[in-house]
Amino acid sequence: MVNKLEIDGLTHTFGGQNNVHVLDDLSLSVAEGEFVTLLGPSGSGKSTIFNLIGGLFKPDQGDIFIEGERVNGQRGHISYLPQQDSLLPWRTIEDNVVLVQEITGKVDKAAAREWLERAGLGGYGASYPDVLSGGMRQRVAFIRSLLSPQELMLLDEPFGALDELTRLDMQDWLLKIWEMDRRSVLFITHSIEEALYMSDRILILSDKPARIVREIEVPFARPRHHDITLDNTFNQLKREIYQMLKVGNQND
Amino acid sequence: MRRLSSWRLGPPIMAILLILVIWQICVSLFDMPAWMLPSPVQIIQEGIAIYPRLLGHTLSTIQIALGGFAIGVSVGILLAVALHLVPQVRQSVYPLMVLSQNIPIIALAPLLVLWFGFGDLPKILIITLVCFFPVAVSLIDGFRQTSPTLKNYMQMIGASRRQIFFKLEWPSALPYFFSGLKISATYSVMGAVIAEWLGAQEGLGVFMTLASSAFRTDQVFVAIFVIMAISLILFGFILLLEKWLVPWDTDQKEAHKDGE
Repeated sequence: MVNKLEIDGLTHTFGGQNNVHVLDDLSLSVAEGEFVTLLGPSGSGKSTIFNLIGGLFKPDQGDIFIEGERVNGQRGHISYLPQQDSLLPWRTIEDNVVLVQEITGKVDKAAAREWLERAGLGGYGASYPDVLSGGMRQRVAFIRSLLSPQELMLLDEPFGALDELTRLDMQDWLLKIWEMDRRSVLFITHSIEEALYMSDRILILSDKPARIVREIEVPFARPRHHDITLDNTFNQLKREIYQMLKVGNQND
Repeated sequence: MRRLSSWRLGPPIMAILLILVIWQICVSLFDMPAWMLPSPVQIIQEGIAIYPRLLGHTLSTIQIALGGFAIGVSVGILLAVALHLVPQVRQSVYPLMVLSQNIPIIALAPLLVLWFGFGDLPKILIITLVCFFPVAVSLIDGFRQTSPTLKNYMQMIGASRRQIFFKLEWPSALPYFFSGLKISATYSVMGAVIAEWLGAQEGLGVFMTLASSAFRTDQVFVAIFVIMAISLILFGFILLLEKWLVPWDTDQKEAHKDGE
């Protein structure tokens, strides 16, 4: 079967005075319905990978395939959830949720309402984003990306701006909603625990230029509960990853 | 450009009444001659007396003020959009725009009358000249203030340049646009009066010139009050329009105010 996302030998350098070599021969893949996490130190070029997949610019070398089609430098093939504040303040929640559909051409308000209901946001359709808390806004933004017709979801540290309690709550919520409609997800985080709790597979990035230094299959069954964070295997993996990231940093 | 905040009606009306009362008391206390400073009561009485004659002048002023305002705002919007979408044009045209505001109207108006006669055209041109600038500058600022996060998001989900403009940049510049619009609205009435003052057959500007040369200070003040009233009504109308078209911004402001 063709992978949802296939990245092959991606290399990129930002020009300008201080040539920054961001990516070096990076390859990865995300299978249908798989939840893959990119874990790495901040500033390791994770967002550059996303911008390349999103087609904001072309890579120097390497190819990006989405459902087998080469999409280097092409936009509009992904569904995207940024870190924060991606709702348009002048649109009501419902109108925000259908924004992506407007861009791609097919608006389905009934589905929008249905998903808002399922996500526990039923009463907020006609409100403006500024009345919602940060966590609620991220829920709306996630529903919006679920409703986008593109099947590959890129989640860029979606809980990075939230406080710890909201964050744990959001992890459970997102997994629950995701189980209802299993999309292929590429997830960025710099929290080891979050990566282990959420993903099927974790790809650990080195510091710039980013390469994948290790791949970890997460052995826990779904649906998951926060209890697994107390599990021995969980802590064993957590320690391993921690060591790895530390070693990676010392090599600089 | 900072946003002009909406106001409540009570306090300003009280302030105006207070000023009028003090004025009235001072005039009677110091026994001012009416040709130097008439009292508010005298002004109102004169206003009622000359109402039929004044109405024609007022309508004429309103007409060219609104005409010039509409054209000025349209020119401002078009310029701002063009300058925003074509950055190369911005570099060359923006300084010219600023220079256009340094032309003294007093010098320009007689020239325009010389070139285009005593009709409405020279007057409308003057109002357009003073009205387009606040709108253009505030809109250009507004476009440039568009959140980079949101722009990046729109690009990531595959929005076209056109979609980014209409779904993101235009609505996010709208509060700025209204700030410019309010300034333009008050300028438009002033512009109309000055334009008429420098050469016209009808209008409040003409009326004021005649009244002032006849030492009818009371009539000058009547005209001033009418001009203020027109400006206020226009301003209020724009506030309402803003409340209707920019609900996310104005509602938020009121919520903050209530929280105080």
